[in-house]
Amino acid sequence: MPTYLARRIGQSVLTVFLTLTTVFLLVRLAPGDPASAYAAPNATSADLARIREQFGLDDPLIVQYGLFLRDLFTGDLGTSYSFHSPALDVVLDRIPYTVTLAVSAIAVTTLVAVPLGVWMARRADTRRELGANVLTIAGQSMPDFWTGVMLLTVFAVVLPVLPASGFTSWSGLVLPTATVAVLQLALVSRLVRREMTTALASSYITVARSRGVRESALTWRYALANSAVPLVTALGTRFAALLNGVVVVEVVFGWPGVGSLVVRALETRDYPLIQATVLVTATLAILVQLLVDLAYPLLDPRVRLGKAA
Amino acid sequence: MTRTPHLVPPPRPPSRRTLLRWGAFGGAGVALGPLSACAGPTGAPGPGTLTLGLNRSLVSLDNKLNQFEAAVTVQRAVRQALTRIGPGLRPQLVLADRFEMTEPTTWTVRLREGVCYSDGSPVTVDDVATALRMYGKVPGSFLLGLFPELPAVEATGERTFFLRTRRPVPGLDRLMSNIHITPAKANRPEELRSGLGSGPYRVVRANSGAGEYTLARNTRYWGGRPSVDTVRVRFVPEESSRVVALRSGELDVVDTLTPDSAEQLTGLPGVTVQEISGARMCQLFYNFRKPEGHPLADARVRQALTYAIDGTALVRDVLTGTAEEARGVVPLALQGAVPTGTYAFDPGRARRLLRSLGAEDLRIKVIWESGEFAGDTSVMEAVLDMLQDVGVRASLQQFEPGGDILKWRQGRGGDWDVIGNGYSSPTGQALTMLQGMYGGTAEKDRTGDAFMGYVIPRIERRLSAAATEVDDSERERRLAAVQHAVWDTWPSLWAFAPKTLLARRDRVRGLALQPINSYDLTAVRLEG
Repeated sequence: MPTYLARRIGQSVLTVFLTLTTVFLLVRLAPGDPASAYAAPNATSADLARIREQFGLDDPLIVQYGLFLRDLFTGDLGTSYSFHSPALDVVLDRIPYTVTLAVSAIAVTTLVAVPLGVWMARRADTRRELGANVLTIAGQSMPDFWTGVMLLTVFAVVLPVLPASGFTSWSGLVLPTATVAVLQLALVSRLVRREMTTALASSYITVARSRGVRESALTWRYALANSAVPLVTALGTRFAALLNGVVVVEVVFGWPGVGSLVVRALETRDYPLIQATVLVTATLAILVQLLVDLAYPLLDPRVRLGKAA
Repeated sequence: MTRTPHLVPPPRPPSRRTLLRWGAFGGAGVALGPLSACAGPTGAPGPGTLTLGLNRSLVSLDNKLNQFEAAVTVQRAVRQALTRIGPGLRPQLVLADRFEMTEPTTWTVRLREGVCYSDGSPVTVDDVATALRMYGKVPGSFLLGLFPELPAVEATGERTFFLRTRRPVPGLDRLMSNIHITPAKANRPEELRSGLGSGPYRVVRANSGAGEYTLARNTRYWGGRPSVDTVRVRFVPEESSRVVALRSGELDVVDTLTPDSAEQLTGLPGVTVQEISGARMCQLFYNFRKPEGHPLADARVRQALTYAIDGTALVRDVLTGTAEEARGVVPLALQGAVPTGTYAFDPGRARRLLRSLGAEDLRIKVIWESGEFAGDTSVMEAVLDMLQDVGVRASLQQFEPGGDILKWRQGRGGDWDVIGNGYSSPTGQALTMLQGMYGGTAEKDRTGDAFMGYVIPRIERRLSAAATEVDDSERERRLAAVQHAVWDTWPSLWAFAPKTLLARRDRVRGLALQPINSYDLTAVRLEG
């Protein structure tokens, strides 16, 4: 286990490093000039030259990369051009909002989609199951901005019971969470349904049933436990994706997460901010995947990490 | 049926389940931790709290780099300058109680007695000198570009000093309204993160990453007590979300509205839309870097093209009445602006003139950056149709924000004929805008710094002479003459001044919106 963990951490560090290097190169190859995005509209050419010099943008790419690596290892990701403060601090200011929304959306998804998937599996190929399927797929098919605007209109304007934007109270989390969760419901519930249908048709369930195990225990304790690995994998992947921000939902609900931050950073060619955002979100996403991997042996004792099957 | 639980063994290691439970508790903790930190009873503002919804993130309460109109309102509530631009766009004294030109290159200034910062320390002459030095060291600052030169401070007493310049700067009292004073020891040539100032409010909570601030009344404020206890500033980037939040009562004020949103909000119960003539000029400006012999290098061709544009229809149908067609080369709301002429729509005349000038096969490329002004794409598409109606083959090229349009503006990106551009005057003076747009010289244009290549030496000479004229009435006369001369060069295919639009809940009273899209927070009060 410790060897496995060390190897996975090593792989994760390498992945983050390669991602950062790729992003470093790609943003500099894209058109646009950070100096002109930073400067005022009336800035002169001399001003722009001074700004480029100040940020080291006139150095050869290899020199910029060397300096970036040196600073990276000292934890300095530079000063954001648009926020005029350390880029890492700007990202860390936003991360709690993103994590909150991601955790809440995944929690709601799990709480709704798992029972729904189980219910659909128990009623597979019935009209009720078909109806549930249609509803969840309809939810997934709606563009998130449309779902968000509809929820806003109903719950913040027509029935003004929930805040329209920002995160100023608990209730501010409800609409963004619902919008994100609606998109995940179909995916997760259908996955649970498929896994549960297979599990409920397995011989060990038949044997258990023949020995008098209650149906609820068969469903929740045996079949669902055996469906847990793919379910946790899917939830982990969705969670990691949400940690990169849900731009449209953040914009519609004025949610100050990292998704809208990175869009702004790209618009203003804010290289340090782009790199800091990528570092933080990539690290979080990889951490989540690592935790998912570590959870496998807990969910299924047959799994032995770091050993060949 | 007999249950034989021993044949179906329970999940073996309790530790695994325990671990899973711990995981679940940990996950819940992660979820609830940030929630509890941000939790409050409701999203609606309390009775003594004014909530402002900004369309751009206020990254700091310093204005050295972060200068957009709505931010000024908040920044000036915390940090103050010697003067400010007040009602009627006239300069008013703030931290100074005397600010007058005593010689052509010398202004005598006296700090108001008893002015202090929110920590109780006094505002000093050294703070003013340091502030000017720090603003002067910030490269690419918008404010720096407004000053013909930064004045030097010469202390003459504990509260008195001279501001000296090499050449006369008659509008120095207006320009100094942008230099916010902060304690010298805390000032840096960068955006300041702390919010220590002498204004009516102090910062009690700030999240610059999210653009959210909470301001509380400064109990040590030297002036009158502001009516509102707490001001919350929120960044809500999406306009439709700001509109919804205003309608639901979650926000009290939203500014910088687009025509569409203003139309939606007008007439709604509990909401008032305020508008005022703006200090920003939006132009379809010609490229003045065309070589001699090019049709657009001829003012008569530029004038002929203006007859193709139906400005009345653009203002009425596209901008839904939220703008005024230009009647001068700068917005008439600005101090010193004069009407110089109007744009006339006469496509037949446009066709005839273009034919007579040998420009009937003209091709026009129009460029602009998205978001340069409200409704930009719709305006450009309508202009394209209008030009095509008079036989001009026009094309559009739109740039995304942060792209390369600056290169194109400087003549280094590619060839173009007309650019959609907006220009503001935060000093409230026509002179500032005239110098920025029409004060180009050959030397400036060598580095691409003359505004769209506009280099007309006789205009520049007259403008420079007006800018250094210390006699007010003579300066006004000269400025008026320059504006007429500029108009006769037909610099724009069409131009308009967008109205400054703001929407507020009816409980917000006393909000006096100014053309520079700012207002004095101390005058605002909440009722009900």
